[in-house]
Parts: sequence; structure tokens; C-alpha cells
Amino acid sequence: MIGPNKNIRAARYGMTIDVDRCSGCGACMVACAVENNVPPANPKATDRTGLTWIRVYKIDNGLPYPETRSAFVPVLCQHCGNETPCVHVCPQQAVEVDPATGVVGEMPQRCLGCRYCVAACPYHARYFNWWDPKWPAGMEKTLNPDVTPRMRGVVEKCNFCHGRWHAAKQQAAADGKPDTEPVEYTPACAEACPTKAIRFGDLNDPASEPAQAAKNGESFRLLEKLDTGSKIYYRSKREWVRQIANAPHPAASGKESFHG
Amino acid sequence: MRGVFPFAAGLAIMLAAGWVGFPYAIYKSRPQPVDFSHKVHADKAGAKCEDCHAFRADGTFAGEPTLDKCSSCHAAAMGSTLAEKNFIDRYVTPGREPEWESYARQPDNVFFSHIAHVKRAKIACETCHGNHGSSDRPRAYQEDRLSGYSRDIWQVGERAKTTRASMTMNGCVDCHRQQGLSQSCLDCHK
Amino acid sequence: MKSTRRDLFKFTGGAAVGALLSPAPWRLVTDTALWSETWPGVPRPATGEIGAKYTNCSMCPAGCAVRARTVNGQPVALMGVAEHPFSHGVLCPFGLAGHHLPYHPARLKQGPVAEAKAAAMEALAKCGKGERAAVLDLRPGRTASWTYRRALAQWTDAAYLAPPRTLGGVVAVNLAAAKIVLSFGAPVLDGWGTLGNAIAARDGFRLIQAETVESRTAVLADVWLPIRPGSEVALARAIAGLLRKEDNSSLQAAASQTGLREEQIVEVARELAANRPALVLDSQERSEILALNQLTGSLGRAIVTRRETPVPDSWKKAAAETELDAVADRSIRLLLIDESVPGAYVPWSAIERKLVADNPVVVAFAWSRGGYGRHARFVLPTAVYPEGVDDIPPAVDSPLAMFRLSNALVPAPAGVVNPAEFVAGLAGISASDALRERSDAIAKTGRGTLFTYADAKSARAKDVKPDDFWKALNQGACWMDDPPPRTEIPKLASRRATAPAAADDLPFAVVMADAYALPCSPILSKVYQESNLRLAANRAALHPSAAGDCGVKDGCRAMIETRSGKLEVLVTLDAAVPKGVVQLAAAASTLELFASSARAKVVRI
Repeated sequence: MIGPNKNIRAARYGMTIDVDRCSGCGACMVACAVENNVPPANPKATDRTGLTWIRVYKIDNGLPYPETRSAFVPVLCQHCGNETPCVHVCPQQAVEVDPATGVVGEMPQRCLGCRYCVAACPYHARYFNWWDPKWPAGMEKTLNPDVTPRMRGVVEKCNFCHGRWHAAKQQAAADGKPDTEPVEYTPACAEACPTKAIRFGDLNDPASEPAQAAKNGESFRLLEKLDTGSKIYYRSKREWVRQIANAPHPAASGKESFHG
Repeated sequence: MRGVFPFAAGLAIMLAAGWVGFPYAIYKSRPQPVDFSHKVHADKAGAKCEDCHAFRADGTFAGEPTLDKCSSCHAAAMGSTLAEKNFIDRYVTPGREPEWESYARQPDNVFFSHIAHVKRAKIACETCHGNHGSSDRPRAYQEDRLSGYSRDIWQVGERAKTTRASMTMNGCVDCHRQQGLSQSCLDCHK
Repeated sequence: MKSTRRDLFKFTGGAAVGALLSPAPWRLVTDTALWSETWPGVPRPATGEIGAKYTNCSMCPAGCAVRARTVNGQPVALMGVAEHPFSHGVLCPFGLAGHHLPYHPARLKQGPVAEAKAAAMEALAKCGKGERAAVLDLRPGRTASWTYRRALAQWTDAAYLAPPRTLGGVVAVNLAAAKIVLSFGAPVLDGWGTLGNAIAARDGFRLIQAETVESRTAVLADVWLPIRPGSEVALARAIAGLLRKEDNSSLQAAASQTGLREEQIVEVARELAANRPALVLDSQERSEILALNQLTGSLGRAIVTRRETPVPDSWKKAAAETELDAVADRSIRLLLIDESVPGAYVPWSAIERKLVADNPVVVAFAWSRGGYGRHARFVLPTAVYPEGVDDIPPAVDSPLAMFRLSNALVPAPAGVVNPAEFVAGLAGISASDALRERSDAIAKTGRGTLFTYADAKSARAKDVKPDDFWKALNQGACWMDDPPPRTEIPKLASRRATAPAAADDLPFAVVMADAYALPCSPILSKVYQESNLRLAANRAALHPSAAGDCGVKDGCRAMIETRSGKLEVLVTLDAAVPKGVVQLAAAASTLELFASSARAKVVRI
């Protein structure tokens, strides 16, 4: 459903995540769930069947104790800009790349739940609602009106906090700003991060931190070899972190399951 | 002729059922809680749309006004109509919010920004909502029994006097296409 | 004319065409699709006017400033106040979902208030010689704490008990003044003190984290010293010896006990000596370890004396604080436990010894089941954040006194009890205006600064009238004291260390993860259940080699057996946990087990 743009100055929203600053606290995971009406886990849910639009994984340098050193890597939808895998495989066209913002927008309302996209996403950043969402009695009063809750049987994922983007656009209209300019806003995870490891901005704006990180040779993206055009630029001074980001070897059955 | 008769009979019966019987059966009708006259308020009180249906500072649309807006004038009876008396007795005195039925209510997953359409695109209220604003009595609210949405979303009906636009997704998309606006799903969905 | 079957088919055909040419079937398809989208189980968020309310988070003594996004007055999201000069807009994962607590499934709403009151009065009347009433206050320093002390002063020999603490009361920590921090397992960047303050001060000090398992703080530290469990005191002794330039007798012992090389220990001591003031912290506040601060120049600079937040003069005749150990065994006839706000856990076994043998009355004030409610005779429900109005004492890392209120953002259910007012009622004193009285007392001293959150402005307290002072606090504000005119060098209280009970038959050493585990919103399943980021209270982490030794598998049920009891857990295999160690999350159920020694056996169920 992408139509022609007027003279809109297109944004490409992206992020830079400093792995050396991430403490693995999980504030981003909680803030995301609160903002996007992600329900608490079903009693039968595990780390494979849960809904964690952003998930912090723990990785380590592969050495045994006491030489082990760890790092924490928050992984969310990378909003791939090149040959977006999930968009390619969806039979329903329930996900699309918005040319005006670069955001890969998931429409749970349109999804029929085939889970092809969950398999296609190389970052495991898409989540299927195996159960109907259930909040404890009364907690539904705390739901965010800017994001609609999903029913079971559909896939959901990070949309770079579209509820906040809508609110920013409304505020811009109220302030009389022209609609040809992209709006500035902060997603919940970036706002909540205590160490400011996650920073959000417009990659098309050279002054923004993500844009500067993109140009910086020290930044890396996850699974760079797949050339997905990810918009999330990670940074770390540690070489073993950069190595793992490119998944040099397939998941060893025992090792990977111990982490994150 | 005789060979055609059963076919024609079947055709006629189902056409009638579909065009006349079905709309009658599928909609459940109920009146608005207050017999509110837009005309009276526009003429006598000199109110314009935005006096009661206002934008807040953050750009969100307040929609139907809350009781305090009405109570600010109608704390005591201002005229002598039965409608006003009922309103004061049933709502103002006990402090109860009237349960207005919204003709234009959209599904929960729709994000419609009034301010983008009113302030930026400068679309008049009547273009989408029809001539509510000059009505003397509120129309009955007709609700689809299966889907729970108002007939107004589909039916052009009363609104046909000022607009041919429906309030379904197709209606929005058509206009956006005509205006050459970029349409991305997340523009209008939450 | 007879109608034939052919006619029927023609009729049906015509009806089908007629139906398809009418709107009915097409509408029915769309309506069914729309109906399927309004699935009854999925709640619809309430819409309305978006606003903001301000408060301070009472989930831990950090008391971080909070801005609540509200819809028709109901909080739907929490975030920090970016301009706050101490918490810097930071909230921890627990605080970010604090607004869910009133709807927590384990939340208590009703309790036997009248029976508890009657039983308490009866117990008070029955107090014989050598018997007393006592209050156990898990978060001392609040105005409610003063109310307890004032109430207890009305009775003979009554005891006001609080969890023992060396730092966080009169003696506090100033992170900004430290050039280097040596932490023995204290989670400096993850739950100790005020998160926003620790992060803001981080670039100003070098952090050495000495602990068995690499915690979140260790991951961000400059140096992680992986030491064997139980070797912390030996390491501290060796460092003390090196700092005093004594002979190296304890160095060798420390090296063999910790598993570090002697050069590593020497390097640590060298760094402490070269970067004064060097702050030494310990998660268990052991005197031998904290005593290092006397050698590293941190007393008076990184560890400071903190003036108490002012109180009305009439309160100062209140009962003093007593150590639980100082109370005679079997002497408490009435015990009132205030666990309405999370605080340090005192093992029940230590408390139980002090209760009289015949029919002691124990009343626990709690917002949820679990905790002391499992042992008390009466459990009375209290308000929970963000329902209750309570003040939050300054955190351990605030060098200056603070006064801030946690405001009522939503109304509390009708059945809840205010513990301070309950106890005050028993003693016949009035407490309903205690917070206002304290606010007035602070405003009248003219000391300090008042920072209001809605407009992010600071004002000198002496320029604010007491009425406006109180009003501002109730709308979201924080009072911070002025630095004292003289620096008083603090004295660190010396606490007698209890020798751990012998437990050689228990093969695993226990290490606590996430030393500050708060009761929290169910949404925290994101980090406990839907990912392995944090260790849940019902899980135990073991090295994969334990799979062979104990016959356990990842996710299987097991029993942790200790000298003080057993606990059923689910096993997580984690190569980051060294062999011979089992890691548990700190919670009432787990802390109870390790009162006497930190060793355990793991048995598969």
C-alpha cells in the first residue's frame, strides 16, 4: 500500500547501541512491554515462546572460568532496509517498509499467523502470540491507549514505538510545523536505558548519533554478512563482541542455550 | 414464461430480502441519551464546532465533550424544553456522563489524527461527518449487530447531502490517493 | 400446475443470484471479519486526556523521581524526571512497571483488622516482667519509623528493631568523591544505591569488582576479580596488610583461598594506595572489609556523616533503635512487622528465637502474600506503591539528607491499613498528621533546596512558605539538605560476625545473584521467564558439569537443601557459574535458607 510521496523529507530512523555500556539490566525490555501493551508471560511460556520485542542476550568470550568475560547485547527488530526478509515472505503483505521513515511496520491486524516471517527473520526478532494476552484483573487499566493489544495467532514485533511517533506527529501539527519534515521522538527502550547505551535518531540527519555511528568504522551491525541493511549500529571496543555479531560458526547445541 | 417464474420469484424474493430486509435486520437502533439540538446551540448560543469539539494542546482531539462542558452553562435550566429538563435531571444533577454513541467510532487499531485533517489539510467537518452540525435532533444510532460498528461508517445516507465519503478504510485510502499522500500502514494504524 | 423439483432448483438458482446481487452476503463476510477482530478476551485500553503526575518511587530507598503518564488520571507508564539533580531521570526495570503493583495477583485487600487489634491489646496487657512489645521496621528512617519509636516510648521496655546496617543511616557514601571503588559483591551499578547517581558518577572512579560470579556490575567494571566464595574476608585482610606495609603473611593465604595470583592482590592494594580516596564496599557489610576504608582515605570524603532529615522537636523523646541481637530471647510478646515497603530481610529464625514461647502475637503489615506473612498470626493489608503516601529515607549513596514523598497516584482499596497509624492507635498517640508535621519542621529550618518536578525548578527552602512546601512535596518534589558546616569524620560501626556453621557435607557454595530482588509487576516475566536475563527466585543456576554430578538437566526440578531448610527450585545450567557453586536469586524464600551458612546440597526431584 505504499503510495507516492509528496515533497516529504524522508527520515530513516535508526539506533546506535553501545554494547560496552549495556549493563544487562532489562529496563529496555520492561519499558517496551509497558509502552506497547505486551502482556505478561503465559504460565507455559518459555524464552522460546515469549513476547520480548526487545531482548537482551548475554554473550561471552568463550573462555572457561575464570577467564570468561561477558557482554550484553540488546536485540530488537533491525528494520532491515535491503531486501527485508520478512516483507519478502509475508503472504498477506502484513508487513512493509515505510519509505517516509524507514520503519518496517508490522500489522498484526492483517497477519494470518503463518509464521513464515518468524522463520525468515535472521535476528529472531519477530514473535508469535501463542496465547491470548491476559493481564491480571484490573491491570488492563494501565494499558497504553496509543497502541492496540493483539489477539492470539498473530505475529508482532518492534515498530520503533509507532504510538510515540503518532503522538509526536500530532504535537507537530498542533505546533504548526509543516508535515514535510520528519518528527523527533524517542522510543521507550532508548528513553528507559539507564546508561544511555541505546540511542535513537534519524540516520538521514548527519548530526544524529546513529548517523555518526554509521559512519564510524568501529561500529558494526549484526550479521553484516547477510547484507540486510540493518539500521541498528552496535559499538564495542572488544574484538570478540564484534566477532560474535557476525556469527562465525553455527550455534553449538549446548553453548548457545546457556546464554541470554 | 412459466419456466422463468420460479427463477424470477427466487430472484425477486432474495433481492427484496437483501436490499430491504437485511438492512432492517442487521442494524439495531437506539436513540442518543440526550435529545441534543446542534441547531439551537449554533443559532442561539452562537457555538461553532470547535467550541465543544476541541483540540487539546498536544494535538489530540477531545471528541465528544464531557459533562463539565455542558454543565458550565446548563447547571440550571436555560430554556423550557423537556429535552433539557431530562438532561439536567438524568445527567447534570447526579453528575453522570451521558453515554453518547459515536457515529464515527473506528476500530481500536485505527489511528486517526483529527488535527492533521482539520488544521493541515483544512478539511471541513461536514466533508466526513455530514451535516450533524446543523441538525435539530440527533439521528438514532444504528449499530450493526455482528460487528458492533455504526451504520454511518458504511452507509452514506444522511451524510450523502454533503459527502460521498465512507468512513471505511477504503474511503480513507481513496482520498489519500487522490491527494497524492504517501500511505503506509503505520500512518493510520496503531 | 404442479411444481417440480426443477422448479425448486430454478427458484434456488434465482435466490442465489438475487442474494449475490444484494449487499447481504458481502456485508456478512465483512461483518464476520470485523466481529472476529473484536475478540472478547482482548482488553481495550481506555482513551481520554493524557496528563502527567509526579511522585517518587518507594520500591527501594533510592526513591528515584518519577513522572507518570496518565490517561484520565490513571497512570499508564512511568519514566524518570530527567532534570532531577540526583536520580538524573533514571528508573530501574522494577520501577518502570511500578504502576502495575496495585493490580498484582498476590495483592492483599482484606485482613482481620479488628481481631488483630484486639489480640495486640490483649498481648500488651499480658506483658509480664521481662516481656515487651516490639516493632520490626524493615525500612527505618521514615516518618512512620519515628511514629513507631514514639509509640513504643509509651510502653515499658518496648523495642524498636530495624535490620542492622552500617551504611545508609548516619553514615552514607559519596560516590562522586571516590577515585577508585573496590566492591566485594556490592551491585554498584545494578541495585545498590541510586542507579542514576551511580551511573552519573561512574566515569569519575575506577571500579574493581571482587565476586565469584560475574554480575552485571562486574561486566561494566574496569576489573573483575573472580574470587572463590567465602574468601572475601581473607582478601580484605591481605589488602589491609599490604596497605599497612606489614609482612606478607596473609598474602599467601589470601591467594590460595581466593584463587587469585599474589601479584593480582598486590596490584589491587597498589591501586587503592595510589588513588585516594578509595572506597571499599561489601554486599554483606562485613566489618573486616569495611574497615579497609580507614586505610584508604575514604572516611570523611567518600564515606561521610549525614545529618538526619529534621524532625519536630517533640518527637525527639522517642525510643532508640535496638539491635535484634540485644533483645533477650523469648521476651517479645507482641511483634508488629512493617513490611509494607521492601527492605533488608531479617531471617525469621533470628526473629522467632526472641518471641515468648506461649502465644506470641505477631502482626505483619504487608501488601502481598509471602514474606513474613507466612509466619505471622495476623496479616493486615497495606497500600502499595503508587497508592500510599509515605516518605522515602535517603539512599545509602546520598551524602546529604533528603525528604521526598511517594504520592498517591491511585486510590488504595478500602480494606487497607496504615501500619503507623495502627501502632500509634495502640499506643494512644496521634500520627495522622505526622508527615505534615515533619514537612513543616524541615521547612522551618530554612536549610536546603526544594526541587519541584513539574517545572524542574529549584528554590531555597528558606524562600518557600511551609504551606507551599507541603503542597509541592505532594505534587512531586524533593528536598535536599545543605552540606553540613563541618565535615565530621564518621565512625564505622563494628558488627560482630557470626561464624558460619560447619557444613562440609554440603558440596555447593551458595552465591546470591541480583542481591536486591524486589517484589514486582508480572510484566517482569520478560526478564525472568521469557528470557534468561535475570535469575528468577524459583531458579538455581549451576555449572553444566553439575548435570553429571547431581543428575540434573536444564529446566528440571531440584531441591536445594541447607542447614536451615529446603527449597524446591528449577535448574538453569549456566557455564558462567563456576563448578561447585549454586547461584540463587535473593528473595524471602532463599534468604531464609542462608541464615547460618552459605552451603547447600542439590538433589534432583
